[in-house]
Amino acid sequence: MTQILLIDDEPDILRVLARSLRADGYEVFTAGSGIDGITEFERVHAKIVLTDIKMPGMDGIEVLKRIKGMDADAEVIIITGHGDIGNAIEALHFGASDFINKPVRDDALTIALKRAEEKIDIRRRLKEYTHDLEGKIEIATRELRRRTNFLDKLIRSSNDGIVATDEHFQIVVFNPGAERIFGYMQEEIIHRRNLPELLSEELAGTVQRAMAAHRSFRELPWREASIASKSGERIPVMFSGSILYEGDQKLGAVAFFQDLREIKRLQRELVHSERLAAVGQTVAGLAHGIKNILHGLKGGSYLVDLGIAKKDDEKLGKGWEMIKRAIGRTSNLVMDLLSYSKERDPQFESCSPNEIAAEVCDLVRERAEQERTELISEFDASIGSVRMDPHTLHTVLLNLVSNAMDACLFDENTSKKWRVCVRTAAEPRNQIRFEVSDNGMGMNDEVKEKMFTSFYSTKGHRGTGLGLLVTHKLVEEHGGRIEVDTQLGIGTTVSVWLPFREEESGA
Amino acid sequence: MAKKVLTVDDDPDVRLFTTTVLEENGYMPVEAGNGEEGLQMIQSEKPDLIILDVLMPRQSGIRLYRELRTNKSLAKVKVIILSGIAKKTFLRSQQALTEFGETAVPEPDFYLEKPVDADVLAETIKKAIG
Repeated sequence: MTQILLIDDEPDILRVLARSLRADGYEVFTAGSGIDGITEFERVHAKIVLTDIKMPGMDGIEVLKRIKGMDADAEVIIITGHGDIGNAIEALHFGASDFINKPVRDDALTIALKRAEEKIDIRRRLKEYTHDLEGKIEIATRELRRRTNFLDKLIRSSNDGIVATDEHFQIVVFNPGAERIFGYMQEEIIHRRNLPELLSEELAGTVQRAMAAHRSFRELPWREASIASKSGERIPVMFSGSILYEGDQKLGAVAFFQDLREIKRLQRELVHSERLAAVGQTVAGLAHGIKNILHGLKGGSYLVDLGIAKKDDEKLGKGWEMIKRAIGRTSNLVMDLLSYSKERDPQFESCSPNEIAAEVCDLVRERAEQERTELISEFDASIGSVRMDPHTLHTVLLNLVSNAMDACLFDENTSKKWRVCVRTAAEPRNQIRFEVSDNGMGMNDEVKEKMFTSFYSTKGHRGTGLGLLVTHKLVEEHGGRIEVDTQLGIGTTVSVWLPFREEESGA
Repeated sequence: MAKKVLTVDDDPDVRLFTTTVLEENGYMPVEAGNGEEGLQMIQSEKPDLIILDVLMPRQSGIRLYRELRTNKSLAKVKVIILSGIAKKTFLRSQQALTEFGETAVPEPDFYLEKPVDADVLAETIKKAIG
């Protein structure tokens, strides 16, 4: 309920007005003189004050001044005598909200009060709005501070070196990551140095061109580079940068540096240890093959010695055969080594892949019978004469078929009926698939992993550890590919795809 | 009576070498070309010593050695491993099998890495069974 303070020295007017205003729903306080009015105002702080202008003692103008002095927001309506326009204007000058003439008419009073109330309401709303705005600004400021802090911490804790500049390249951010890479403290850099000064000429040029360029050119993608640190050390880094914009306005630049020293060191170590491991494996693989051959040579020469000493021709003959076999194995090992270590371009010649596959099967047929392994061949009759490297095909197939037979021979599950199957099949895009499958021992993951990459044998004196290395190399040189499907105890299927060329027309 | 020695190796040249050394030193050689055959021969021939290769078809020396050392009636038979495989590798394979839950077996009495001279082989045999 709006409070109104009525001040008039005429008790009748005071009474009539008070009654009328109470009837309109106001809470009304009254005072019979200016000085009483001030006292009453101090007590009740009415929002609206209605005061007569002509009063003995303190007049209405003085009351107006005092009340406005106490509460600038109080609405003071002056009641003036008829035609007392001079006083009315003076009152407005001192901040009166309105004036009404005597005798006070209800409608004029209603309008004046209504205006006063509207002003109070507007002021209240303005105040609320202002207050609200302040709250919002405070929240936004807090959020902004939080984000700035967050970004600041993010930049500080980044392992990467982050260097940001203004649009003249003067450095404004130089995080601890950058300190570690460049060897400068941020106090030496911030607002003292320009980014291009810290970079190589070439890198500086890139950054400067990016800054000078049209705005579409704003990102410098990651690349390897090197920078010189404070101590003059060349440090390998990954570098990327970006020109910062706000709208069309260039704000500056930011550059990111990743220290590659540790990675480079690890890479060097890795290459070194891989090379050592490869050498070690090669030597171990070779040594194994050679040890078996040497044992054969020792046996052979022992028998030869015995034969000579005892004039025993049988021992002499057997010993000599042993030596010859050892020589043969040496020769195979050396040839394998050579063909593995030497680059060789495939020689595309006219040949019949099915015939070559059949030849390979013939070569091992006797061995298969001895070892109770069934040898099956299924050749695609649509494959005729094509141009491919017959040497590659022969070597690859012989290796794979021998391996398949070994897989059966070394199989410990003797309840199986072993078989090795050789298939040929015409494939799209001028390729032939050669498939050699067996139901032998299969391979575990370790063997499968090593089969094409390591000098590795599981076969004692039967293997040089080179067969599949050679096979793999020949297939690759021929532009083909090789796939292996194996299951321990179940068997292995090796498929080789070799491309061929059409027979030359007219040939 | 001459002591009986079984040589198990898939390489006939190695067998010929070993059996000749055995004959020359007064032992009675018998031979087998793979682990499976070897096990049969052990049971039928009851040799005093077995000279055993490691990488062989059918049944590897690693397996056969375990059979020998876990079978009570055969545990007394002396064994010389004669292989291109290093002793270290052989022991590691045995250990791996043990870790997979198989019974632990003792190290072989003698281990010879190929190539081996005839006199070294003869000496080792002598140490094993006299």
